[in-house]
Amino acid sequence: MILTSVKLKNFRCHKDISLSFSENLNYIVGGNGQGKTAILESIYYLCTTKSHNTNSDIEVLKFGENVFEIFGSFKNLVNDEVRVIYSSEENKKRYLQNGKHKHRLSEVIGNYPIVLLTPVDHSITFGYPGDRRKFFDSIYCQASAAYLGLLVDYNRTIRQRTSLLYSIRENRNKNFSELDAWTQKLLETGAELINYRKNFFSEFELFVKQAHSEILNGNENPGLTYFYLSGYDGKDIKDRFAELLEAKREDELRRCACLVGPHKDDFIFDINGINLKTFGSQGQHKTFQVALRFAEFFYLKEKTGKAPIFLLDDVFGELDTARSVRISENLRRVGQTFITLTDFTDISYLHKRSTDTVIKLMDGIVTYA
Amino acid sequence: MQIAEPLQIAIEELSKLPSIGRKTAQRLAIHLLKSDIDAVEKLLSAIQNLKTKLRFCNRCFNISTEDLCDICSNHKRDHSLICVVEEASDVIAVEKSNEYHGSYHVLAGVLSPLSGVGPESLHIKELLKRFETEEIQEIILALNPDTEGEATSLYLAKLIKPLGVKVSRIARGLPIGGDLEFADEATIGRAVLGRITL
Ligand SMILES: [Zn+2]
Repeated sequence: MILTSVKLKNFRCHKDISLSFSENLNYIVGGNGQGKTAILESIYYLCTTKSHNTNSDIEVLKFGENVFEIFGSFKNLVNDEVRVIYSSEENKKRYLQNGKHKHRLSEVIGNYPIVLLTPVDHSITFGYPGDRRKFFDSIYCQASAAYLGLLVDYNRTIRQRTSLLYSIRENRNKNFSELDAWTQKLLETGAELINYRKNFFSEFELFVKQAHSEILNGNENPGLTYFYLSGYDGKDIKDRFAELLEAKREDELRRCACLVGPHKDDFIFDINGINLKTFGSQGQHKTFQVALRFAEFFYLKEKTGKAPIFLLDDVFGELDTARSVRISENLRRVGQTFITLTDFTDISYLHKRSTDTVIKLMDGIVTYA
Repeated sequence: MQIAEPLQIAIEELSKLPSIGRKTAQRLAIHLLKSDIDAVEKLLSAIQNLKTKLRFCNRCFNISTEDLCDICSNHKRDHSLICVVEEASDVIAVEKSNEYHGSYHVLAGVLSPLSGVGPESLHIKELLKRFETEEIQEIILALNPDTEGEATSLYLAKLIKPLGVKVSRIARGLPIGGDLEFADEATIGRAVLGRITL
């Protein structure tokens, strides 16, 4: 599946532009404020109905306008025309595929899979456990509808049980057998979730090792450790889970919070057995982030049978030349890719080919190099 | 724009009904306005009869015309078997399958602390009472396989098992996030990208 063209109206700084793309690498070049990232954002809209940057559509609307419009053509076995139209007056967004309105996310998601590498990926290796859970959940949910269902169920259970803990503390409710039932529900769904994650990690780690060695030529050996139930590594997850729930019971009642379960999981990265978060250099972090996104790409391609569109936002600025060259070589194996760059002269080493497209943005004018 | 008051009131009332939006309510009101008086009166009495001729069964809380519903008073049914469901509409669904010949118990909801629904708001006490007067051998928990349905099943199983009765549960299903709003709320956002149907 290839995105052949995009038209934007009143989208971020773009009043009215049309772009056509290569099915290989597309370099989007321009200075600050020329709207490079906005192009990637519009592609993200076409594939997912929303922005990767913001939850509010009105933020994306060009200042002083009422309606933005994104129009994209996908070339597949058949061609798809996708339109996203947002009106601030109605505060309404419409998503149309070949002229037909799509009302549900599930009708859209999965049609045009997408992987995005951005500077925000910083938080995956530097940030909190929650950032890492979000990253891995988003990958696994794309590959497994069963996992997505389980995750929604588990999160709902946490909300229900937390609400019950509050009402017990406020004395509105002294029914502990009701709490026991919700605890049991948490344990059953949570244990299943942990088992899914264990399986996912043993598989995904291989994709990360592969991607990492291709970027770095095999000098470093990356590792992933799944950290669950306070560092448990034994066989019977349910027994351990029940033990921890029992130990934290008083704490949970006092603090009105669910303190045990996969919503507290973490994922630890290491290089040659040395903890990345604590001891890794900037370059090692960046390489790891890139490897994780490449791993996501190849994992999803294998699991869903569709090659995602790959977006790289402002990636090369932070990497040394050797790594940048290896990454761009690896992109040859990926398929259609969109890369934003601040200054094209800096990346002559990326070996542009004749099948690639270079799009220059300057004061709203598009030129192809 | 001015709308005649009786029409306005009709639209207001109709749009209070579940899954009826304003536009549909308008269409329905206009349709009724154009209909014969006969047809309107038939509809009116059908609605009125729901309240005057129907009640909930004293034993199982199914919809009934008498104190006991047709299923509870039917001697050909197996009354040692109780199928526990969430709403009376679930009784209709199971009955349509023509596979089940036991009796029912309607809980009138499921546990949901977020909406303030605890065991005391459901017909659970009444279910336990039935063990005193009926010869019950098996309870089938047929609640919806969603988060609240499963928690309620676990709650009931814990209550009923000590009574020495067989308790069974229908297989778990998978709630899948559907529309745009839902996915945002669940903060799974792009989580649903590219998922495959199993
Ligand atoms: Zn009855």
